[in-house]
Amino acid sequence: MIRENSEQIPEDSPEPGMKYWKSLDALAETPGFQDWIQDEFPQGASMLQGFERRGFMKIMAASFGLAGLGMTGCRRPEQTIMPYGKSPEELIPGVPNYYATSMPSPHGNIPLVVESHSGRPTKIEGNPSYLPFGGSTDVYAQASVLDLYDPDRARESFRKKENQEGDLSWASVNTNTLIAEVSEWTKDGNFAILADRSFSLARTKLSSELKDKGVQFFEYEAIDLARPEKLLSKGLRLDSDGLRVIPNLGKVKRALSLDCDFLGSREPFTLANTRSFMGGRKVTSPGDAKKMNRLYSVESDMTLTGGVADHRLRLDPSQTPAFAFLLAAEVISVRKGDQTLTKRLKELGKAAEIHREWITPCVADLCSKPSQSIVLAGSHLPEEVHVAVFLINQSLGAIGKTINYLPTNDSYEGISELIEKIEANEIENLLFVGGNPVFLTDSFVDWDRIRKKLKKVARFGYSLDETSEFSDLHIAQSHYLESWDLSRTWDQESIVPVQPLIAPLFDTVSDLELLLSLVGSSLTAHDFVKSMHSELEGSKLFDDFLRLGVLSANPSFHSSPIALNDYFDKTKIQENSVGADNLDLLLIPDFHVWDGRFINNGWMHECPNPMTKLTWDNAILISPLLGKKLQKENPGIGLIPEPTMLNKQNQIAPDNANFADGRQKAPVVLVKFGNRSIEGPLYVQPGLADYTIVSSLGMGRRKTGRVGEGAGYDASTILDQNGNRMVSGAKILKIAKNWTYKKLANVQEHWSMEGRAIIREANVDYYSKKEDFAQHMGAESHSPPMWGKDENKSLAHKSQKTPRGNSSYEHPDHNYENSDTPGRHQWGMAIDLTQCTGCSACVVACQSENNIPIVGKDQVMRGREMHWVRLDRYFSSAEREGDEIPSDVQVSFQSISCMHCETAPCESVCPVNATVHDEEGLNAMAYNRCVGTRYCANNCPYKVRRFNFFDWNKRQTDELYKGPLGKKNDEISSMGKNPDVTVRMRGVMEKCTYCVQRIQEAKIQVKVNAQRAARHSSGKDGSDIEIDNSDLKVPDGTILPACSQVCPSDGVAFGDLSDPESRVSKLKNDPRNYSVLGYLNTRPRTTYLAKIRNPNDKMPDFAKKPHSYREYHDKAYPTHHGEGHGEKKETKSTNGKGSH
Amino acid sequence: MRNIFPRWINTVPIKLFIALGMTGGAVVAGISYYATPKYTRVGYQPTQPVSYNHEFHAGQLGLDCRYCHTSVDKSPHASIPSANVCMSCHKNVKADSPLLEPIRQSYYGEDSNKDGKLSEDEDLNGDGIMNVGAPVPWVRLHKTPDYVYFNHAIHVNRGVSCVECHGRIDEMVEVHHDKSLSMSFCLECHRKPEDALRPMDKVTDLAWVAKHSLGGDDLHTEDDLDRIHADAIGFAIKNKWNVNAGVSCTTCHR
Repeated sequence: MIRENSEQIPEDSPEPGMKYWKSLDALAETPGFQDWIQDEFPQGASMLQGFERRGFMKIMAASFGLAGLGMTGCRRPEQTIMPYGKSPEELIPGVPNYYATSMPSPHGNIPLVVESHSGRPTKIEGNPSYLPFGGSTDVYAQASVLDLYDPDRARESFRKKENQEGDLSWASVNTNTLIAEVSEWTKDGNFAILADRSFSLARTKLSSELKDKGVQFFEYEAIDLARPEKLLSKGLRLDSDGLRVIPNLGKVKRALSLDCDFLGSREPFTLANTRSFMGGRKVTSPGDAKKMNRLYSVESDMTLTGGVADHRLRLDPSQTPAFAFLLAAEVISVRKGDQTLTKRLKELGKAAEIHREWITPCVADLCSKPSQSIVLAGSHLPEEVHVAVFLINQSLGAIGKTINYLPTNDSYEGISELIEKIEANEIENLLFVGGNPVFLTDSFVDWDRIRKKLKKVARFGYSLDETSEFSDLHIAQSHYLESWDLSRTWDQESIVPVQPLIAPLFDTVSDLELLLSLVGSSLTAHDFVKSMHSELEGSKLFDDFLRLGVLSANPSFHSSPIALNDYFDKTKIQENSVGADNLDLLLIPDFHVWDGRFINNGWMHECPNPMTKLTWDNAILISPLLGKKLQKENPGIGLIPEPTMLNKQNQIAPDNANFADGRQKAPVVLVKFGNRSIEGPLYVQPGLADYTIVSSLGMGRRKTGRVGEGAGYDASTILDQNGNRMVSGAKILKIAKNWTYKKLANVQEHWSMEGRAIIREANVDYYSKKEDFAQHMGAESHSPPMWGKDENKSLAHKSQKTPRGNSSYEHPDHNYENSDTPGRHQWGMAIDLTQCTGCSACVVACQSENNIPIVGKDQVMRGREMHWVRLDRYFSSAEREGDEIPSDVQVSFQSISCMHCETAPCESVCPVNATVHDEEGLNAMAYNRCVGTRYCANNCPYKVRRFNFFDWNKRQTDELYKGPLGKKNDEISSMGKNPDVTVRMRGVMEKCTYCVQRIQEAKIQVKVNAQRAARHSSGKDGSDIEIDNSDLKVPDGTILPACSQVCPSDGVAFGDLSDPESRVSKLKNDPRNYSVLGYLNTRPRTTYLAKIRNPNDKMPDFAKKPHSYREYHDKAYPTHHGEGHGEKKETKSTNGKGSH
Repeated sequence: MRNIFPRWINTVPIKLFIALGMTGGAVVAGISYYATPKYTRVGYQPTQPVSYNHEFHAGQLGLDCRYCHTSVDKSPHASIPSANVCMSCHKNVKADSPLLEPIRQSYYGEDSNKDGKLSEDEDLNGDGIMNVGAPVPWVRLHKTPDYVYFNHAIHVNRGVSCVECHGRIDEMVEVHHDKSLSMSFCLECHRKPEDALRPMDKVTDLAWVAKHSLGGDDLHTEDDLDRIHADAIGFAIKNKWNVNAGVSCTTCHR
């Protein structure tokens, strides 16, 4: 495992590690190694073939003899400890260092603080000095550290070779040689660079220098998040290149999203949006609840934003413009704006009149708090919508308050201009810098023809991909954790450094180093960044900047009002309508791989998509209505369970004919639009607009590493050269009778809570009347008190004194009175369900912190995924007809991990005492004691225990069944493991530990500090120092488990229950606090705060109770059944509720 | 019909039973003696690349343990000194001793003329940085299993001496594994930390022995022993410093 020699690899010795990895790779290429690996017994067992029996006996006798001498065979192998030659400053072996850096992303750099163990970056956290993100990160930033240790990344540069049969092979070349070669190209005037979009100030500077040298510079990003700002600036006829929307959601009371997933992963700046917007939904008392913000979402896809929304309208993307115009007309007329404009907008929005019932009360609500309202539009929508939304916000008086418009100035030429110039023979040599344009633009660029026009093509990229195959040369790119850069955040409020945590592991260079070479500068990347910093900040210390990791930039926002009364005169009235033969097609960046850049990242593949819960795949999402239609037209397709598949309770039972091994079999279909098409598996997604197909970009890559091979289908054909991601007029082709099916690794096929009180929800009104509604739900509201006579005692008393633990063995009594070693703290966690958007960052953060293995699609399909945090997603709906998959749904998320029950069912069934309680209330798991009976997992009511069926950390996922003969994982992946957490082996159980390594480290640090402080203050070294209990308590907030630290909405509180002042104690004393499955009397230490929704009673889809509550009510009180359906009757049943 | 089996067959089962019992017992006894850390580890004394003499340095010269094992009170790891620690004395003392060659190699690296500057012909790999030499491959003696997280800092700061786990290093010419470091070894102390606690300034004083305030060899009753404990310095420290050595799994296993 990895602790061996972990402290001792010297940084400045002649790179022993590097050579080692290199040779492994080179070894893997040699024919000898291939032969050896293909041998049935590669461990050398077949060597015996060459021996005579007599010789064998001689050797065996001798070795047995040796073995007998002092049992030398039992000695562990000799290990060495390698100390530094000259020890570097600031490095204490065994104590991690933290460095501020930032991660480049298509929506600005994400400021980070990265943990480094003896020079190896292991864990990524947000930089709390950047206030909008408040120290949170998104799921991609968390997973990005795995890319650094990706065994399939380009470890050196390559030159393409093609043999006579046309087979490609790559010959490795020194990177600097290739750069020197490409630098020669800059001397001719016909050299162009096509780069990915970057927020780097350093790149901007270097690219302008390159332009001065006559190099042509183009940029391309498939999911261009800067597109709306360009459209808006053009529409408003401004001088700036773009006008960027920077929401300030902390002040928002009413928000409307027009197909804008501003809390999800496909829009920019979502971390800040989540943090500020969910902050406005924080509820601590009924009084607060009245101040809670309200979210309306009009959307085509089922997004995370739609999940949070209080009111949600499903609308096909082609219908969204009309809706936006009508909305604008309404808002402007309510706000008494220009009447001719209103009239024109009303005309344009005629098609949306069918939604009048929805729009009127919504607009009234928005206008009731004008300067505290905001309307946001999705980045895929056309220019007119962005202009209309600008007018709405202007009319609401929101500009400068809840929304800022930031003029941006970075004009660049895109891929269309590049292609034009190549066609015109103006460019002969091309260099791709980052991105993967050949794959992404394949639908509208004829690359084969372009290739013939080009003389020389080079590619600078992280791994060999489609674009590399197109090129002659591949220059290997460094990971951002190996690079220097100077960059900006999306809101341009901060300038952030990209600081390397480690020297490049392989023969790679960063983009900055490449451009510096092309410019002909002799500066190193570090010196260049430093000089740029001194230009910005003068004499201020560069080191201070690196320490803090952010530098305020104070951008100036657009403030002057704009009158655009004639803008809409030319806008055409939309006439197309959607239908089953005229579907809208929406392309979104894939949750797992974004635009394909995370294709070889196993953490991202295995992190379930929060809505579909699919892993390792994407699917063509269709609405339940369309699904039903297809099912009717093609009986046996198995999209929707047949009515015969209902069980006696009238619930959906899985249609076994369409499940293989209990897993979903999805029919593969062809979707045609114009002369283009996509082909992929169908997946019925509740909440989708009826005639919208949602497809995701980035999967189905043709050339990837081993992880991404065969994942998903390619939907890049939807893209066009203008960056449009919306297509109308698509059609699902009639499919032949012989379906082809694709098995999808879905981790949660069941949608509904079936009326159980697992997630408890209420509306603001009900909550303010009945603060403790959550206590009156679930079976425990009818059962005897869970805590017996201690029921009404304080939390601190319960956590310290109520007896707990019930192992079959005698184990220490940890109650305060009886214990020799009483727990100084009592750990507990409270998760606020109101705050959870479902972003899934906690899932990957936990995986990164706790060395959780990747198991692969095949094993996920067997239900063996290893995530310690499971994010459950439930749909609930107003109409519950049993056989229908609902269209209009409410979404609730709940993260479930080990609850650390005080009377844990797992403990009493463990035959070897491997899982027991500790004195601080943790349900401990001793891996070395576990013999793998799995009784504990069977007995866990929350299903949070995970079993290592295989040596997932050791062996490649496709070689698992070969046991010890299977190929081992590349050792580079073990470099990223957290050395403070055991890497578990085959045959042991594991589960959430509350990040016990962080708890222990904090406790040790507090004790060491207390001891030192006492010594310093008394000046004595002896036994008369007095240290009392309060000196040894860990202050509240010191320990943040990985899930809590990453959470952008601060929804997870962790701390000491024996301290009534701790944040977690206060939350647990909130009347909303409840235990999941509390009636089992497991007394979980992790409890949940019931979810509060804030609907508007004027809206047509208003329901007095959240749908899940009504489901629960109908099931819990069947005599009232039926009353829940009608709105008026429902009130009555609610009133009757108090008497239960 | 003739008897197929002779009469002595009757005693075979009991003989077999006894024989199996004895074999089994021997195996169990053998494993429990030979395969435990007490046998396999205690006394382990590998040959080190440089024959560092602890008895001379720590014993006779009286170097504090922390002079070389710098991170022992700050980090989970005690850390093996890097070559520059050795060279802080051995640049002047025994500067040319052939025994110290691996240390000098590691320390000077590319700086072959030892002037502290990198000249062009010294820069072997041409990176412009004065690289140090290969690390000295010290052989590891003490090792806990991978699933055990022993932390030096907490023990050393809270009055547990090096001697408790490593023995009288100051009397060892070449260091050997002195205590078993098995789980029961850890637990014995965690259950009764008072036996191992001492004032902070005595932690690296390996020769220090607690003197009971009552002392004497004539105390034999239970009461007397209790009083010794109550008055013993370890017990007093435990109470005053609020030492609460954990005995649950999470204390060491993560």
